Amino acid sequence: MNSNNNSTYSMLSPFTVFSFVYRHWRSIAALVFVLVFTACSDDEKDTAKPSILGVGTASSVVNPVNCQLYHRGDTIHFFYVFEDDTELGSFNIEVHDNSDHHSHSTESNDHNQESGECTHSEEHHHDADEHAAEQHWVYNQVFEIPAGQRRYEARVDIPIPLNIAEGDYHFMIRVTDRSGWMQLKALAIMIED
Amino acid sequence: MARQRQQMKTSQNSVSVGRDYLEQNFSGSLMQTLQGIPGVKAMSIGSGLSKPTIRGLGFNRMAVTEDGVKHEGQQWGDDHGLEIDQFAVDRAEVVKGPAALLYGSDAIGGVLNLFTNHIPVKPFEGTVQLNGRSNNESVGLSAKVGGRQDAFFYRAHVTFLDYADYKVPTDSIQYYSYWIRLKDGRLRNTAGCERDGSLMLGYAGYNFHTDVRVSDSYSKSGFFADAHGLEVRLSTIDYDRSRRDVDLPRQWVNHLKVLSHTSWTEEKGAMELNLAYQNNLREERSEPVSHGYMPKPESSLERRFRKDTYSGQLVLRRSLGDRHELQTGVSTEFQHNRRSGWGFIIPDFETLSMGAYVFDRYTLREGLIVNAGLRYDHARSHIHEYHDWYQTPVAPVQHAATPSQPASSQEYRQRSADAVRRFNSLTWSAGVNWLTGDWVLKANVGKSFRVPIPKELGADGVNYHIFRYEQGNADLSPEESYQIDAGVSWSHEGWNLQVEPYVNYFPNYIYLNPTSQFVEGLQLYYYTQAEVLRYGFEAELGYELNRHWQLSLKGEYLYAEQLSGDKIGYSLPFSTPWSVDADVRYSFFGRGTGFVGLNGHLVGRQDHVVPPERPTDGFFTLNIAAGQRFPLTKGTTMKVALHADNLLNRRYYDHTSYYRLIDVPEPGINCSLMVGLDF
Repeated sequence: MNSNNNSTYSMLSPFTVFSFVYRHWRSIAALVFVLVFTACSDDEKDTAKPSILGVGTASSVVNPVNCQLYHRGDTIHFFYVFEDDTELGSFNIEVHDNSDHHSHSTESNDHNQESGECTHSEEHHHDADEHAAEQHWVYNQVFEIPAGQRRYEARVDIPIPLNIAEGDYHFMIRVTDRSGWMQLKALAIMIED
Repeated sequence: MARQRQQMKTSQNSVSVGRDYLEQNFSGSLMQTLQGIPGVKAMSIGSGLSKPTIRGLGFNRMAVTEDGVKHEGQQWGDDHGLEIDQFAVDRAEVVKGPAALLYGSDAIGGVLNLFTNHIPVKPFEGTVQLNGRSNNESVGLSAKVGGRQDAFFYRAHVTFLDYADYKVPTDSIQYYSYWIRLKDGRLRNTAGCERDGSLMLGYAGYNFHTDVRVSDSYSKSGFFADAHGLEVRLSTIDYDRSRRDVDLPRQWVNHLKVLSHTSWTEEKGAMELNLAYQNNLREERSEPVSHGYMPKPESSLERRFRKDTYSGQLVLRRSLGDRHELQTGVSTEFQHNRRSGWGFIIPDFETLSMGAYVFDRYTLREGLIVNAGLRYDHARSHIHEYHDWYQTPVAPVQHAATPSQPASSQEYRQRSADAVRRFNSLTWSAGVNWLTGDWVLKANVGKSFRVPIPKELGADGVNYHIFRYEQGNADLSPEESYQIDAGVSWSHEGWNLQVEPYVNYFPNYIYLNPTSQFVEGLQLYYYTQAEVLRYGFEAELGYELNRHWQLSLKGEYLYAEQLSGDKIGYSLPFSTPWSVDADVRYSFFGRGTGFVGLNGHLVGRQDHVVPPERPTDGFFTLNIAAGQRFPLTKGTTMKVALHADNLLNRRYYDHTSYYRLIDVPEPGINCSLMVGLDF
């Protein structure tokens, strides 16, 4: 048997909901206000990663390309074109040893060659004695791209030291845009005597 | 009604599930088992580990308690799971929304309260359970015994679990343009094992109760071999040799807990004292490689952490008159963390925190209760200095077209400076519960906080697990969170409806922000603070046609946006996409009680992302579950639970999974079977 109070409440139940809303209209209005302002807001934000283009310009081709051969003492005339929908940030070039033939495979034709092998024109030894005497080349440099660029032609001259070990190396290019999106390209290069 | 009583207990939105629910929904880990609860998600790291999230907040933004004591592991880690045996849990309660008042720092998204301290009733009772899952060939055994003699009681439990590499419905994975082929659709090196045990002794008197529980949880699992660490490498390890072996890279963690619980109850009030010691030992091993200027390390020990946590909590409850229920408490926690290994990510640290609160529940009249509380916390964090074990050349940033300069000098670079920070926080909450006829209405408003963790203050190095450079900020202020949430619950003649909306605002959310800069050849991420607005809701509509048929429809939605800072307009990492669940359940009664249920799970596309995430397509999975309990001889019951997930073997990605970042899909079709005996 319900007490008087309870029966009054159940009779008024649709109205109690309205009175709840009425009492808290300020909080509800604030919530609606916030929703109107933020939901379906203009998508001005950058949602795309920058790109590292595989073709160069009318006057220059990209360099290095996958499996490019260099000699110690050469200079790598690095040239690639970066593009972004909003604004580019900075880029990093890293060269490290690949004598264990690990895989980066960002080149589409490497899908079948997971080991990232390049065909070598001549006899290709990893002579242990030779390598023990020399260090593997480690190169890691960061370069700033001027502000406000949506397209940038990056050129860097990278001299290959004379006293580093020959063999297979990985050449990695990383580029960011202002929003923090990052794109990566990994190439295999060979450095011989 | 029981549902209404549960709704009236607190003005916060909370859900409670018992052992039956845990057994019927059991999955690879505790959090995956609890995922069916609206608002709760498991951030999975493979098939045996997951991290909890409540309303999209996880890591150090939610607290997990076991028998009232906050669980302290290395929660900051993306790939660190929750070290609690799901088979030891008797009851789980999810409190959604800020609960800093009772639990202090970290309880912003909510609290997951786990209870493993059910007191035995019979002189000897127990459960034995065997379970298996097909997708990762997991086999498990869990046994519990307990007994009560007069007021004394004991409980012991042990769990063993072993699983193989798990299967995904694809034969290759692409990650940052690395092309990885999978053998037989198996994610190589994701196998693992788990061993847990606990012993509890206690005295349950009329007024006085005390118990001590010692538990240990050990788990070992591999990380997916091809996309972990510095670079994808062709290792000499033959991962495809066996599905069950755990090679490098891998982790193991051991969590030891000693908990003491004492309470004194009398007519007008109660007193409770919890004391706990926890030791979390974790090792992460990977194949040593050189990177940048770091030479190839001598061992495979990449990271090792040892964390000792001492905590104490005293709570006093008192009824003043017949309207006031006053609760007051003090708590303290001391954490001592030491690291080793060749990978630096967080410095050594000690943190001491203390808090005191007062909370009152006032019954205005029958069916209308208001509550309010206030809490003050003080924390002191001491992070230690750390220098690299290898030398780095000191070289300036180059500009294009300038020939590279040779390094001017070498140094053991300092990664973290010695620093002491003190934090003070005042938090509060107020709420109302209103029962009126078929409706229960509740509303809660509150402020919560979180002390910045040593990683956010003192990180300065390469995170080898995820290819980036992470930098902390020693000047971060404690994160504050303001939330308004409401709950509308209605039940009438077999129908029940629940809607729980919330709005959450952070003036200074601590966020690991990806920048356009590089440090040591890897993209720089650094910790900043920004204003963040989040809002969403959970809703549930159920209908009990008769005692056999039950239908339900559940949905959840969450939106997050950064309102200031570098990433203004962007969302937060791992934002949960909307989802809808439709369930049909048939229960049958007879010699045994049982059920059969069909579930359709629809998840929307998540477009609202932040670098480096990618949008994730929506997906639909069909899942089926069945279970039965039937009594055997006197006092024993046999129970069977079976469920088949992702019946359509759909290939889908979970936006909130750690493995989404490395483009790994979720498991394909999976059947789980549990057979148990209660005696």
